[in-house]
Amino acid sequence: MATKAVPAPKTRPSKSEFKDKEKPAQIRSSNIVAAKAVADAIKTSLGPRGMDKMIQDGKGEVTITNDGATILKQMKVLHPAAKMLVELSQAQDAEAGDGTTSVVILAGAMLETSQKLLTKGFHPAAISDSLLHFSAKAVEVLESMAIPVDLTDNASLLKSANTALNSKVVHEHSGMLAPMAVDAVLKIVDPNKDQNVDLKDIHIIKKLGETVEDSQLVDGIVFTQKSQGIGGPSKIEKAKIGLIQFCISPPKTDMDNTVLIRDYAAMDRVLREERQYILNITKKIKAAGCNVLLIQKSILRDAVSDLALHLLAKQKIMVVKDIEREDIEFVCKTLGCRPIASLDHFTPEALGTAELSEEFQAGDSKFVKITGVQNPGRTVSILLRGSNKQVLEEADRSLHDALCVIRCLVKKRFLIPGGGAPEAELSVKLTQYAHTMKGMDAYCFRAFAESLEVIPGILSENAGLSPISTVTELRNRHARGETHAGINVRKGSISNIIDENVLQPLLVSTSAITLAAECVRSILKIDDIVNVIR
Amino acid sequence: MALALNPVQIMKAEAEEERSETAHLVRSTLGPRGMDKILVAMGRNEGQIEVTNDGATILRNIGVDNPAAKILVDISKTQDDEVGDGTTSVVVLASELLREAEKLVSMRLHPQTIIAGYRKATDAAREALTAAAKDNSSDPQAFREDLMRIAKTTLSSKILAQHKDFFAQLAVDAVLRLKGSGNLDAIQVIKKTGGTLRDSFLDEGFILEKKIGVNQPKRIEKARILVANTPMDTDKIKVFGSKISVDSTAKVAELELAEKEKMKAKVQRILKHDINVFINRQLIYNYPEQLFADAGVMAIEHADFAGIERLALVTGGEIASTFDSPELVNLGTCDLIEECIIGEDRMIRFSGVKMGEACTVVLRGATTQILEEAERSLHDALCVLTQTVKETRVVYGGGCSETLMAKAVQEAASQVPGKEALAMESYAKALLMIPSIISDNAGYDSAQLLSELKAGHAQGHSTLGLDMEEGCVDCMVKVGITESFQVKRQVVISAAEAAEMILRVDDILKAAPRQRSHDQGHC
Repeated sequence: MATKAVPAPKTRPSKSEFKDKEKPAQIRSSNIVAAKAVADAIKTSLGPRGMDKMIQDGKGEVTITNDGATILKQMKVLHPAAKMLVELSQAQDAEAGDGTTSVVILAGAMLETSQKLLTKGFHPAAISDSLLHFSAKAVEVLESMAIPVDLTDNASLLKSANTALNSKVVHEHSGMLAPMAVDAVLKIVDPNKDQNVDLKDIHIIKKLGETVEDSQLVDGIVFTQKSQGIGGPSKIEKAKIGLIQFCISPPKTDMDNTVLIRDYAAMDRVLREERQYILNITKKIKAAGCNVLLIQKSILRDAVSDLALHLLAKQKIMVVKDIEREDIEFVCKTLGCRPIASLDHFTPEALGTAELSEEFQAGDSKFVKITGVQNPGRTVSILLRGSNKQVLEEADRSLHDALCVIRCLVKKRFLIPGGGAPEAELSVKLTQYAHTMKGMDAYCFRAFAESLEVIPGILSENAGLSPISTVTELRNRHARGETHAGINVRKGSISNIIDENVLQPLLVSTSAITLAAECVRSILKIDDIVNVIR
Repeated sequence: MALALNPVQIMKAEAEEERSETAHLVRSTLGPRGMDKILVAMGRNEGQIEVTNDGATILRNIGVDNPAAKILVDISKTQDDEVGDGTTSVVVLASELLREAEKLVSMRLHPQTIIAGYRKATDAAREALTAAAKDNSSDPQAFREDLMRIAKTTLSSKILAQHKDFFAQLAVDAVLRLKGSGNLDAIQVIKKTGGTLRDSFLDEGFILEKKIGVNQPKRIEKARILVANTPMDTDKIKVFGSKISVDSTAKVAELELAEKEKMKAKVQRILKHDINVFINRQLIYNYPEQLFADAGVMAIEHADFAGIERLALVTGGEIASTFDSPELVNLGTCDLIEECIIGEDRMIRFSGVKMGEACTVVLRGATTQILEEAERSLHDALCVLTQTVKETRVVYGGGCSETLMAKAVQEAASQVPGKEALAMESYAKALLMIPSIISDNAGYDSAQLLSELKAGHAQGHSTLGLDMEEGCVDCMVKVGITESFQVKRQVVISAAEAAEMILRVDDILKAAPRQRSHDQGHC
């Protein structure tokens, strides 16, 4: 090896350099091909007429979804570059919650363009630079076409939630789910103050049975547990609610303990004392005026013994047990009560008050619903129903998307038209801008601007329209200055998309463009794949 | 292979071949237009990927079996520990030195002669570097400017390159807050997916990823904080098998009550410290949590080890485990504690902490790979900046210093009689490979640029370097590419030392190995 190099020491570096160029190019193209394959896989689920995927996981469980992030998460891709695209859709999910399919398709289109540019001999670094410039410019254009929205403007919010839901399996229910999403978010935010929404304040409870139509927004709280105790009340008006974190069961110390019993009388006494002990607790609870008791789950011992349940039922106290510790905060916030960790603290002040607490039957299971809370916190519960598990899961995901869309509007109060209008507008505006530039940048810019047309293209293709004639017409309309012209999927024509009420938050589009650009740039920069042992 | 017959042959065929492979792997990551690598994990975390441009990270992760290659991996690690940056340069330089040595050996130069020549050359290079270094520490304005430039130069080869102004500002702000203490522990980095790199920000104070207990104040001004590591369930007797025997349930109830009382007493003792915030490393059970809530004290449970140590550091408190003597415990203080939402998660922010230098950098980015790499890049920048705050001299980057040193070494070589001069010339050549690789990686004509650079330096323009944005040779003062003197010096010295060490080896004696599975790494 070494001796071979000696006769021509000068040429060796250049020779190895030449050899080097091959491998990075191969790696890069393999990365691009893999990433594009991911984008192609979910291409058909874009848009209101997009198709769904049925995914079967390792255990044989079936998921039917239209949500890009979910499809990709389940796909278990192996190629490292493809994985980056999966992560990209998850990032979009976290940031905007919607547009998870578009972001991957955008990235795929940008990669395809990059590949063409690479074969023309552009250096990856140059492409990467102009892509950054491109995304910054694109955001500018998007912002210029945005329409400001007020959170009090219910109609606009509804429209954007509708747009998000339209492409989902459950879109026939969008008329009901969209207002639900809007109401839920508006309930937990203070429009003047909040810049963000904590979606954890919205509890979504899924329960199999009935149809999606029967889902409801509950102003109050729903427990999926049924009320405990036989013969206890199943409906209590003017409820006084206590949330306890201690247990109503025979005493137990943290150290191991044994009760030694030597004769029959002692056994009798132990039983009596136990009964007395529990009776004492229940009496105190009753004395504080509590008539609905929520009990935190305990792993150390029975949170509530059968005897206690019996005694509580006798005193007409409704009991809901097994409240998870993580949920305590949410429950407190909703009901305006304080958690009670010991019997001494069980005072009337710690109780929450509500109009009605009732158990109701839904399908084959029972729930407890508490409504009419006196000092409600900023929380809300949504009870989702669905005729089968797949629909239910999909309804949950769709509702989450809709909630995220409204959240985007709280964060950034601008709307832009949907239906491929922003992409077409970007493509036209940025191509014009590219004409004012010079050098390699201008060339890349134009290529990327063209690549954005992939979104309206796929949108029309999925809707069964001719992509070429639709996209060219769209381009034409935008070039003539019709900023809001978009693909009207229902009518199969191009029209002012705002009249069709297809609106989406600005944040979804801007974050899709910037995230996709960032991801493509990092894929372009990779020139080697190294296996790591460990 | 006939191992013992021809020692020199062993070194060439085995050692040098492998190290060139190692260096090959990282050389394309050098410079502002260097490329990235994907590291694919095998074995336990099969399939996890990492995208990086950081030489040390790449080398640390590949499995090398060859001893000489291991030395190269080691120097890159040392460089990472010592100064944090230049991890790629040092490996590339060392391997170039070895490549040159290989040629010399085949010209029948004795390895010891080469080593002697390299040593002289290293001295000459160091002198030249020291002479070229500038010190602006007396002028705060100019020094800050220097720091900004160094940060930008370091970041320009990383993923953060496109936002280098932004992150350079961020890193400089963070490091200047340290006021020279160089304690990087006080800078906390939190990574959150979502948003773009530009949404990252520097937050003064400290952010803890935990939740405040139920029903406790969510916002506390003028906080007095007790940081503790103590069980807040029950104080258990730690003797195995201890248990209580009683003869009635009532007595069990009494004992249960006693345990509760004990906890109450403990809480009372803790409250005696006159605190309004209590942070525990272990769980806080419901009962004590409620007692704290009743007392209007914010209690935070389950803060992990790193979190609690850093918290104790920044708030100036100490970690307490016993609570009998309130007067002896140092309480931490801070102006304001409040909840904030970052990404989708709620966190607790401590602002106005006692240790004014503490701050938190929150990184946002599209994917975890981007975030991880951003953190490594930022860490590099922070390391270099803290080094520069300690050793305030700076030199010019962009291949300028290397060309300068090469020139000095060549001049020195012309003064030296004997074969050592040959080795010194080779050394100079190796130094010049760095600018050449930088321009190769950026896709420019390295031969042209390098000759322009050399000619410029020969004419006395000692600030000329490579401007990889424009692809031309330019004055580094104008372009503003500055590097830390400390880093550059460390690169030259470590690379020379490593090369010397490998050169000295004339035989590899392998101890009879334990039987183990074959190393399946890249090298």
